[in-house]
Amino acid sequence: MNRRRFIKVVGFCSLFMQSWLRELFAAPGSTVAVARGADHAESTRKAIAALGGMQRFVKPGQTVVVKPNIGWDRAPAYAATTNPTVVRTVVEECLKAGAKKVKVFDRTCNDPRRCYASSGIEAALKGMKGVEVKHPEEERYKTVTVNGKALKEFEIYGEALTADAYINVPVAKHHGLSRLTLGMKNVMGILGGNRGAIHKNLDQALADINSVFKSHLTIIDATRILTDHGPQGGDLRDVRVLNQIIASTDIVAADAYATTLFGLKPSDIAVTRTAYQRGLGEMNLDKIRIVKV
Amino acid sequence: MKKISSARLSQLFFLTLFLVLFLMTEYRGSDRIVAAVNGFFRANPLTAASTMLAAREYIPLLLPGLLMLVLALFLGRFFCGWICPLGTVLDLVTAKIRKLGPIMALQGNLKYWLLFPLLGASLFQVNLAGLLDPIALLLRALTFFFHPLLGETVRGSWRSLYGMVGDRRDMLDPGYHLLRDYLLPFRETLYPLAFLSALLFFLILFLERYERRTWCRRLCPLGTLLGLVSRFGLLRRVPAKLCSDCQACRELCPTSFDQELLQTEACILCMECTLKCPSQRARFSFRFRKKHRLNQGQMLERRVLLGGLFSGFVIAKTFRFRDPEQQSLLLRPPGVRNEGEFLEKCVRCGECMKVCLRSALYPAFTQAGMEGIYTPILLPRLGYCEYNCTLCGQVCPTGAIPDLAAAVKQREVIGKAVVDKNHCIPFAKRTDCIVCEEHCPIPQKAIRSEIVELLGFDGKVLRVKQPYVVDELCNGCGICENVCPLEGKAGIKVFAVKDRTPLKEPSATAPASDEDPYGGSSG
Repeated sequence: MNRRRFIKVVGFCSLFMQSWLRELFAAPGSTVAVARGADHAESTRKAIAALGGMQRFVKPGQTVVVKPNIGWDRAPAYAATTNPTVVRTVVEECLKAGAKKVKVFDRTCNDPRRCYASSGIEAALKGMKGVEVKHPEEERYKTVTVNGKALKEFEIYGEALTADAYINVPVAKHHGLSRLTLGMKNVMGILGGNRGAIHKNLDQALADINSVFKSHLTIIDATRILTDHGPQGGDLRDVRVLNQIIASTDIVAADAYATTLFGLKPSDIAVTRTAYQRGLGEMNLDKIRIVKV
Repeated sequence: MKKISSARLSQLFFLTLFLVLFLMTEYRGSDRIVAAVNGFFRANPLTAASTMLAAREYIPLLLPGLLMLVLALFLGRFFCGWICPLGTVLDLVTAKIRKLGPIMALQGNLKYWLLFPLLGASLFQVNLAGLLDPIALLLRALTFFFHPLLGETVRGSWRSLYGMVGDRRDMLDPGYHLLRDYLLPFRETLYPLAFLSALLFFLILFLERYERRTWCRRLCPLGTLLGLVSRFGLLRRVPAKLCSDCQACRELCPTSFDQELLQTEACILCMECTLKCPSQRARFSFRFRKKHRLNQGQMLERRVLLGGLFSGFVIAKTFRFRDPEQQSLLLRPPGVRNEGEFLEKCVRCGECMKVCLRSALYPAFTQAGMEGIYTPILLPRLGYCEYNCTLCGQVCPTGAIPDLAAAVKQREVIGKAVVDKNHCIPFAKRTDCIVCEEHCPIPQKAIRSEIVELLGFDGKVLRVKQPYVVDELCNGCGICENVCPLEGKAGIKVFAVKDRTPLKEPSATAPASDEDPYGGSSG
């Protein structure tokens, strides 16, 4: 068999054996750390430590963006926004690792002032040195060429683009359209423009964005989860307390594991499935190394 | 340095207070507003009188206004000379404007022809006093014109600075944040009627070309009302006439000495005459005997009173036409259940529009008929009513928008959302969207969706989520219409409804615990 013929065969095979090929080239060993405990600061620290500690992602003198979900005007108990204790702990870890500046922001759906206040995140970070809690400013969005399946280009927040490390801190919750909103969808918070319009083809659009813009670390807050009437909730009967923190460098793997908390399979979620099919990460739980701490 | 009179000191104090309260009439991180500029309206005799006349009831919120009227009996038009912020503005600029002499057309009874129709209309349940009330005029010019202009200018420069220096602009952040947090409006809002509001304000300034305080002495209905009361007042200046040997008062007095005899009902108690009287003759004293209270200026003719009141009737009854097309979209602030009652109480001060968290409220031009000009209407495509916000009711000086607890306000019905299948994406384009359902703030969701199997335009079977509205749960907040990703016309629209009975309370209450285990504040 000569070289040309070999390439032909492999190329031909790949048409039929896509999954086989992907396994061959997949990033070896996605790790998901799962920490449990009612002390949410402690479990957040344990989850980060299980991945090798924050110093693995943040080097001294760097600028870090920590992106929680502050999307709604709801108190933390309603599980519509990221747990402020978790956010604070992640920020503290970044500072301990030597970050020069940690920026925390989200493009909110309700009034930004109310969301920042009601979510408890603004108060939790108040007075911390080297931490900026700002509302996004219109002029800072930069148009980024995506050339993906659903999006040609999109506006991404400049401070997220220029950050040395981007840490994605979503809350795990139900969503009317995508069933769940987890790490992949939380990245929408740094998008500008008409975000509503990307709901038309949400799974491909999110895969497009996440393939261009990478989260260095995804920490999913499942201290309590919203099981229905998401993404906004508002009824405590829809909230379940799980006291779990899920962390991974593989955003798809983190989402895949978090899906199981809702009694669903990762492949039930179109966003996760599409991302996996496009090679953004691993969603097969038996191929993911799950470290429980 | 020139010595400042106590009247001027008081004026400056109240003008500053007015401006500070104006800036405080805004969300500042707490659910309740500590102090708002509404105090000026609650202590305003004109709006108090016209509102109570129109509503035909005693409104406790407006008691200070009535007290002010009683006070005028003793102290005359001290409000105009010591408190009124518009008067202060005029006093501050008037020295820079050369005078051309009085306009004849403004002399005489014109001011009564403004006041009485306004009060007359109130008798027929249309509260128009706010249109010409000096405080409302000033506030509207600030809210709809000056403040947005300031915001746009500063923010625009801040933005273009970013274009020039990029992220290095961050060094200036602290200074800008100070401005942004305390001085600028949070959101850039363009208001309809901004031009008219500014025009009226500048017109009043322009009148300073003719006489000092032309507006106050010749037109202002609030001043005229106070002047009417002070006619029967007890405080008198002595001597009541110009002294034949001096006549300095003619120059000193800003309002009342255009004739031989002091015009009591134009006197604003500025005390200039007593302070600067060359022979220290002029003084104010209380007079209880009747004889001294006569001859205080031109008498009010009966035909002016009756004619004025009749014009009020005409005004109240002739502008009632309402275009039904516009009525179907006439959305009022939350808690307003009855249009008629609302028009009786709304003084058109514009505070609700200033404070509206999402810039959902705008002054009506013709949407509510001509009689409803400047009353607030909600335009969901521009802004929606924030579920947990109760600010408009808090700042409304007359209670036209009731001050409700958040849980109560959330059940008040503004209108009802209706899906327009010709535009709505899942129906018209057969692709998923559901942004409206996502944003619906009602915990049980007033917008829900059903998965429908249908044929795509290419003939393939599709499964699409199509939204529908649960009327029993919809409070018409308008967030669905606001966030609809369609450009131009939204695929879902809030329509006005006559029956605004509040939504039912949620049947079973969730195990509410006072303590929030996640350490958040409830804002």
